[in-house]
Amino acid sequence: MSKAQEFEPKIVAYVCNWCTYLGADLAGTARLEYPPNVRIIRLPCTGRIDFNLIIKALEVGADGVLVSGCHPGDCHYTAGNYHARRRWILFRELLDTLGIDLRRIQFTWISAAEGRKWQQVVTEFTDQTRKLGPYKELYATGPFPDVPAPETASPGVKSFAAESELREVCGKLLAEGTVKVVIGYGARGPVVVTRAEDAERLVWNNRCFSNLTAYLKRKEIKSLGKAAVIVKPCDEKSLVELEKEAQFERKDAHVIGMACEGVDQPKCAHCTARTPRFADVTLGVEAGPEPQTSPSPNRFAALMAMPPAERMAFWTEEFNRCVKCYACRQVCPMCYCERCIVDKNRPIAIDPAPSTKGNFAWHIARAFHLAGRCVGCGECSRACPAGIDLALLNISLHIAAQKNFGYEAGIDPKAEPVIGSYTLHDTEAFIR
Amino acid sequence: MSEIISQSVLRGLAAEWIAGGKSVAGPARVKPDLVLYRTLRSGDDLLLEGFQRPSNSIKDFLFPKAEKLYGYKIHGNSIELIENDSPEPAQVIIAARPCDAAALPILDHVFNWDFHDEFYNRRRAATTVVTLACSAHDENCFCTSVGLDPGSERGSDAILFALGSGQYEVRCATEKGHALFDGKTEKSERTGKAIAGPEKRFDAKAVRAFVTTHFEDPFWNEHALTCIGCGTCAFSCPACHCFDIVDAGPAAGNARVKTWDSCQFSTFTAHASGHNPRPVQATRQRQRILHKFAIYPEKFGEILCTGCGNCARNCPVGLGVLSVATEINHG
Amino acid sequence: MDNVYKPDLMEVTRIRQETPDVKSVSLRFLDSERARNFSFRVGQFGIFSAFGYGESTFNICSSSNWKDHIEFCFRKVGRVTEALWKIEEKDVVGFRGPYGNGYPMEAWKGRDLIFLGGGIAMPPIRCAVWYALENRADYGEITVVYGARTVADLVFLDELDEWSKAERVRIIRCVDPGGETPDWKGEIGFVPHVFERAQVAAKDPVVLVIGPPIMIKNTLPILDKMGVKPASVYTSIENRMKCGIGKCGRCNVGPIYVCKEGPVLTMEQLQGLPADY
Repeated sequence: MSKAQEFEPKIVAYVCNWCTYLGADLAGTARLEYPPNVRIIRLPCTGRIDFNLIIKALEVGADGVLVSGCHPGDCHYTAGNYHARRRWILFRELLDTLGIDLRRIQFTWISAAEGRKWQQVVTEFTDQTRKLGPYKELYATGPFPDVPAPETASPGVKSFAAESELREVCGKLLAEGTVKVVIGYGARGPVVVTRAEDAERLVWNNRCFSNLTAYLKRKEIKSLGKAAVIVKPCDEKSLVELEKEAQFERKDAHVIGMACEGVDQPKCAHCTARTPRFADVTLGVEAGPEPQTSPSPNRFAALMAMPPAERMAFWTEEFNRCVKCYACRQVCPMCYCERCIVDKNRPIAIDPAPSTKGNFAWHIARAFHLAGRCVGCGECSRACPAGIDLALLNISLHIAAQKNFGYEAGIDPKAEPVIGSYTLHDTEAFIR
Repeated sequence: MSEIISQSVLRGLAAEWIAGGKSVAGPARVKPDLVLYRTLRSGDDLLLEGFQRPSNSIKDFLFPKAEKLYGYKIHGNSIELIENDSPEPAQVIIAARPCDAAALPILDHVFNWDFHDEFYNRRRAATTVVTLACSAHDENCFCTSVGLDPGSERGSDAILFALGSGQYEVRCATEKGHALFDGKTEKSERTGKAIAGPEKRFDAKAVRAFVTTHFEDPFWNEHALTCIGCGTCAFSCPACHCFDIVDAGPAAGNARVKTWDSCQFSTFTAHASGHNPRPVQATRQRQRILHKFAIYPEKFGEILCTGCGNCARNCPVGLGVLSVATEINHG
Repeated sequence: MDNVYKPDLMEVTRIRQETPDVKSVSLRFLDSERARNFSFRVGQFGIFSAFGYGESTFNICSSSNWKDHIEFCFRKVGRVTEALWKIEEKDVVGFRGPYGNGYPMEAWKGRDLIFLGGGIAMPPIRCAVWYALENRADYGEITVVYGARTVADLVFLDELDEWSKAERVRIIRCVDPGGETPDWKGEIGFVPHVFERAQVAAKDPVVLVIGPPIMIKNTLPILDKMGVKPASVYTSIENRMKCGIGKCGRCNVGPIYVCKEGPVLTMEQLQGLPADY
């Protein structure tokens, strides 16, 4: 017996209760034979299949994952499969960026009447997976070429002209009681100023990295009363998304927008937002017309130029340094859940240990929860004490949202969010 | 008379140790702006100059971020525990900073007062720490404020002092240190000297006096307003040692694992019932300073901080022990 | 290697459902030598585990005089307790311990004992009551006031009846107003008030009070009026723990590691500590 014949792939099939499960059942009652390699897990709807489950199946040793639901238009819950389709489109891009072998994940629509299609899909997917062999490359290390590191900040401090005006404006806002607190930048990092005389502590220079909108969610700050928040044009984008998600109302905060010359961060090289658009007051010299498009950073291009196995090796090495300090989550303006999925333990969706699997699971969850929501402030990469360039994952999803749905987070306040909406025409090229 | 060694011989020694089956860890450049202590693949990986200090600490090699305590298999209603008794491989940590090495005696206390944590002890026994005295300090350094200095030998088995032109004086402090360097060095008349430490930034006794008497104080809330509640400070601290014990499910092979934890996380003290004795970030920041300057000293007689400044260097929002302690000290 | 984190394996010998969400479980060591050598002090705790789910800390609520088994009692409230809820007799759970200081039962000899417990706080009182009853001659008058929100939330009710048959023992049961049933024969009211009404005449008693913070807070002035010194009032602190052996850094209240210098503290000790519990 040859080696190839000895290997029998394990395949996990997540199927919807209403169509595919019945289709599989029909295949059985019709005595249609298909390989016994598939383990069926029945869920109410493809719309309910958490992407974590797909990863989990591979993690625990599946060689292939089949995901199947009702055909478009047939969903028992009207639109679950449309939502699922939209998520899969983005999710596949993320997995591809991570170097996960997309041939091992098959999406398909199989109705309750299609016992024969179930038979065919399972047979073919099993054969294909058998040919691919065991999924040994998952989270495997190996050689990979250098990915350029993000350009680093220059060490010097360069104050911008609007600094004194900023202090004056904030001092006045506090003195007149328009706001009770100003969230701004100090010499060492963010500062929260509550007294007019302390407005002198505020700075505006090339070291003003933080996206201060992340503080708006904090109870301790909310309890102080109405806040003024200082935003760079790039940070301002998070307000657009937060407002869409009903996490922020313009009346809650006084937005002080700073026309920006760049703060020595990797993102600044590709900036398309130099002038605040929605601020209550804008300070500094407006930087003139904005570039319309931004090329994706060359470090992302370098990553995607590698074959998947090298990408996987790259991320394995990166994630192995992760200590799960969750700085990436804590600095993120869009990570506002009261209780993060990693802190929930009934059930545990993500291995809490900072192991290779646990770290992959965490970073996949973090990145995908930000799909179409991340405004590219790059704080996750900057905050990471292990130097993991997490923003690459967000960039991947940003590009995917643009490419597939023409959506760019933080730009159009009226545009429907990518996740949570769908069209009847979303691409199906990858679905059988 | 002193013993000296050249950088090339030192790298050669490191290569020899690696070839001999020892695990050798030391500073290495991971990215253009990131230096970490990591397991070295070759003597050339070792980075000896051109950076202030690694972003992590050498505790990674004695108290790793995740350690399997035991595995278990569930057979029906019986349980089989699986322990790993294989001996710890010998380990050398080279070019550790004095502020890293000094944290080991601190960790020794915690892992051995009464109950003995053999996971830590076995690694500790198998580890030789070769420290490199500092030749620079930056605005985040404050070893002198917690009773140490750039040439402290505390926790080191051997300490190197740069003599310039790629030469180091070697001073062995323990048998383990001698075992590494005896016969490998040359005699010389030159002796090394650490640089003068950073100016003393605060009085640790005054900090302790403040924290023990100001449990409920607006200071904590004001100070913690910008803290985002991540674990970066704790995880990059050479002396922080809080941990969690978690069951890593089937995906990780059914094991109970000790993982780093941080008092800055909101879940750290949260009860299953929902009650949390430390409900806001201010109480968590307070705990960190209390533990370092009062709780630990009261129990073990020294400060739970070596002044390395990693908390401040790594903090995404520019906080850290130094800024809190100076603020307390100078009002 | 001497692995301090490795649990003993214990077989579940009996499970009793005390209330809709509270169960008590009896365990025996699978290793007979460990069973022979095992001893503990009442008031100590153990770290119990459901394999695959994790570890959780509970008081050992059986008396230290019972040699063949230990008991613990839990409320179904989190991941581990939900897993423990599903265990059956003959299943195996993990146990580490005994940890903590326990009650100074020797020092209490010759004194009157007052036990005040609220809700799920009965188990850590129960072990001490049994111990005192089993060494009846060593202790003076014993008073137990035990209350819960409703009748259905009272645990170890049958044992309360048993205790009341002993000499010089007064048992007072109560439920919060509105928590009574038509056939409820006990008192109605909160533990501190019921205790005050009961006019317990004890001279220089030892008081063990365990329950929600509000109950403890309202009890202290009453004890003060009775002339009970804070050094004679004990409680058992419930802080979240992971290691139980003074390492993981989770349970400190000021300089005290609850897992080592606690969980049993006097009010005098507590008054000197920050309110970090």
